Amino acid sequence: MSALKAGAPFQHSGRNITQLMQTLMYALLPGIFASLWYFGFGILINIAIAITFAVLAEAAMLRLRNRDIRSHLGDKSALVTALLFAIAIPPGSPWWLVALGIVFAIVIAKHLYGGLGQNPFNPAMCGYAMLLLAFPLEMTGWHIPFEVITEPQPTDNLGIPILTVEREFLSPLSWGGFKQALLLAFPFAASGVIDISDFVDGLAMATPLIEFKMAGKSALLTARESGASLFARESETAWEIINISYLLGGLFLLYKRIISWHIPLAIIATVFVLAALFYAPGSVAIYGTPYLHLFGSATMIGAFFIATDPVSAATTRPGKLVYGIIIGVSIYSIRVWGSYLDSIAFAVLFGNFCAPVLDQYCRPRIFGHGLRSKSRPNEAPVKRE
Amino acid sequence: MSTLKQLASKFLGHDSVFARRTAGGIQPPSFKEHSLRSRIMSTPIPPQLTIPIGAESSGEITRLVDIGEQVLKYQKLAVISLSAKGRSDVPVHAPTSGVITSIENSIVADHSQQQQLCINLTVDGHDKALPLEPHTNHAQLSSADLVSLIRDAGVIGMGGAGFPAADKLRACSVLPIEFLIINAAECEPYISADEALLRERANRVVLGAEILKRASAAQRCLIAIEDTKPDAIAAIKQALQNEASHQPCCELVLVPSKYPAGSEKQLIQCVTGIEIATGQHPTEHGIVMHNVGTAYAAYEAIIEGKPCISRFTTLCGQALKTPKNFEVLIGTAAGFLFELCGIEANKKQKSIVGGSLMGSELGNDKAATCKTTNCLIAASSNELQAPKEAQACIRCGYCADACPSKLLPQQLLAFSKTLDTTQLLEHGLLDCIECGACDYVCPSQIPLVSTYKQSKKFIKTRRHSLEYSDYWQQRFQFRQYRVKKEKDQALSRKLNAPLQSMQAAEPAPKGQNDEADFISKEQASRDIAAAVARVKARRNEKNK
Repeated sequence: MSALKAGAPFQHSGRNITQLMQTLMYALLPGIFASLWYFGFGILINIAIAITFAVLAEAAMLRLRNRDIRSHLGDKSALVTALLFAIAIPPGSPWWLVALGIVFAIVIAKHLYGGLGQNPFNPAMCGYAMLLLAFPLEMTGWHIPFEVITEPQPTDNLGIPILTVEREFLSPLSWGGFKQALLLAFPFAASGVIDISDFVDGLAMATPLIEFKMAGKSALLTARESGASLFARESETAWEIINISYLLGGLFLLYKRIISWHIPLAIIATVFVLAALFYAPGSVAIYGTPYLHLFGSATMIGAFFIATDPVSAATTRPGKLVYGIIIGVSIYSIRVWGSYLDSIAFAVLFGNFCAPVLDQYCRPRIFGHGLRSKSRPNEAPVKRE
Repeated sequence: MSTLKQLASKFLGHDSVFARRTAGGIQPPSFKEHSLRSRIMSTPIPPQLTIPIGAESSGEITRLVDIGEQVLKYQKLAVISLSAKGRSDVPVHAPTSGVITSIENSIVADHSQQQQLCINLTVDGHDKALPLEPHTNHAQLSSADLVSLIRDAGVIGMGGAGFPAADKLRACSVLPIEFLIINAAECEPYISADEALLRERANRVVLGAEILKRASAAQRCLIAIEDTKPDAIAAIKQALQNEASHQPCCELVLVPSKYPAGSEKQLIQCVTGIEIATGQHPTEHGIVMHNVGTAYAAYEAIIEGKPCISRFTTLCGQALKTPKNFEVLIGTAAGFLFELCGIEANKKQKSIVGGSLMGSELGNDKAATCKTTNCLIAASSNELQAPKEAQACIRCGYCADACPSKLLPQQLLAFSKTLDTTQLLEHGLLDCIECGACDYVCPSQIPLVSTYKQSKKFIKTRRHSLEYSDYWQQRFQFRQYRVKKEKDQALSRKLNAPLQSMQAAEPAPKGQNDEADFISKEQASRDIAAAVARVKARRNEKNK
């Protein structure tokens, strides 16, 4: 490519990949702050670990591939992958889990396919999916810092701890919360000091959607009878705030024209329509409300930040719409009928599978092609003076 | 679309024309204000002119003057005959008086950067001219007369394509023309020649448009101009008012300012709503388009009787102290014009002919301006520099959003890398107008247009070589067939020679002469039928 003598257009908009990636990272900030506020320092520790290993892996791969390390690291695409991955991983995960996932994402999902622009699958989601398949237990709990009070926790029949008053929550942003987050990320540091199993075991606060899925149907039905409406909030959690923050970040990206509206709108509309279609209060309550599907889990970050990764997504406008619909259907299906708890990663990967075909068959009509109307002389002749 | 049109005409009055949305496009900073600060200036006569006649490949060139001959201003120097391409001849006139010193190939400041045959004229400075034949009342002339006068004046498309104006007008005599569109949507950055022309000489442009309208027998004439040029718009409005004492000859249409709004098919869609299909010509839809500069040249050719010896050219770029628009004599060297604008030679990084998005780099400042040189840029080191290195395509699709032809540049790039001809053609590579909008927005700064140009070239040579090999394969196969046939015939003659002498004596054995057999059977059945008929006739006679 670089051997080509640059010809005709001498003027350039000045936009570059580094700028795009930076704007993307700025757009992630509100969501990250919201997570920080509700779940404590776990997310920052995740991000720190992920970025460190992403940069190391990227540099190593560039070296192995004989590429200029500085200029390629400068495009910041590895940082974006690391951020998206770190956000997807539950806070409170051990460091090796994060490191393993991000190294997999950078080395195998990105560079072994030819580096930036060549990967058929979203690297962050490849890493996530790999971890979810290999370490399902570690990947489903969201830790909230708390002070352990001596008695063992009672659990319900599914083995999920019932949060009782004996457990005193720490402020996530307090020193104690930070210490716990650190200990969870680096368990070896805690050996001999505290028995971390106290707060590792099942100390989880899964997403509302997961809680919903795990809960007994009868409980849900009773809740429904006590006057829950179609669009009512399902559970009061941090998740809706976090989702709204990502939604705002996504709108910022749209405003900055970093992403186009096609993919996010198609995904959100599809999930909403499906959730509204299958939701029927009282009868099959297990499907969850549309509100829960949109704001109770990772839908917003998936729709605005993950599915819109241009490299692995469909690239034509009509293709993007179909791609979004496919992902939306997959998200909803896996959530409701699948055995996995949340589904953004698998849905996006499935969409990635479809993208090349969509690009081939969902193309806009080329200017001057496929016109039905014939030229004017075949019609009534124009009157001449 | 038609219902929309009806609705629009209902509300806005029948004659109203409004701009429609076209696909894609970009809005780069235009930098036109620098060259529009001063008025159009006529260049002083340079000591030497290099008048391009044409590339030898484009047609047969007839020289009308010899080396050493003294010529006068407006004298016809040469004619390039394009009749092989079905076009009319284009004459070239002397821009001033002087002596022909040599006739040779040299580089010309136009897009192709090809060598053209040029007449070198050493100027004597007297500027002695032939008398002109003005036709102040063009209404007395028939449309055919107008066309032939425009042809004799050597007017070609001043927008850049350089298609003989007379041919475009003549094509209109075959098909009925509803719209003549005067293209004043000078959308490319840096170029301001048309805008300057309209600001200062709108009256003459409008007259020229009227002439073109009459010559092409168009029903309506639309002047399409970008809405970001208020001075030019005001000037045209004024000119139209002056003109409108009897009846308005032209209508003004403001088109949204975006690049490439001035591209022919895009502007037609914008102004009339008609999308010209690939391979079709606008005249098939009753539309013809001329540039503002062409309209002005038509005015000069008819009203003043002056052949086309000058054009309007923008000189700009940061290396020039006083960028401005010039009325340039054809054949003036680019370097001479740069000097007039106060070039700072140490600041200049490169020269570009044309605009910043579709122009090409000028290798040599001695190159002469020709009838299509609309802009010369002396770029300093901090403008219009090629990006250092292209990054990988991340398929962001900004290029597809910018493409006025609704192509998918990101896909074309991928197929260009693998030279997948089928896919390239399927994805409309040949519909690429090379406007450079995709390059402009590409965050990876990939030289897309250059890549497509290469792919187009590849496809062309490949097609050519395929045709070539097909042709020779056919020739070869035919030869083999012929040789074999001759051989067979010789063999059979050799074998049959003794047989034939035998056959002359004996009747042909059955089976070999099926045809003869068949004929005799037919003959026999006919004989039998005749006999039966005869018997029947006899019986009938008897019965009577």
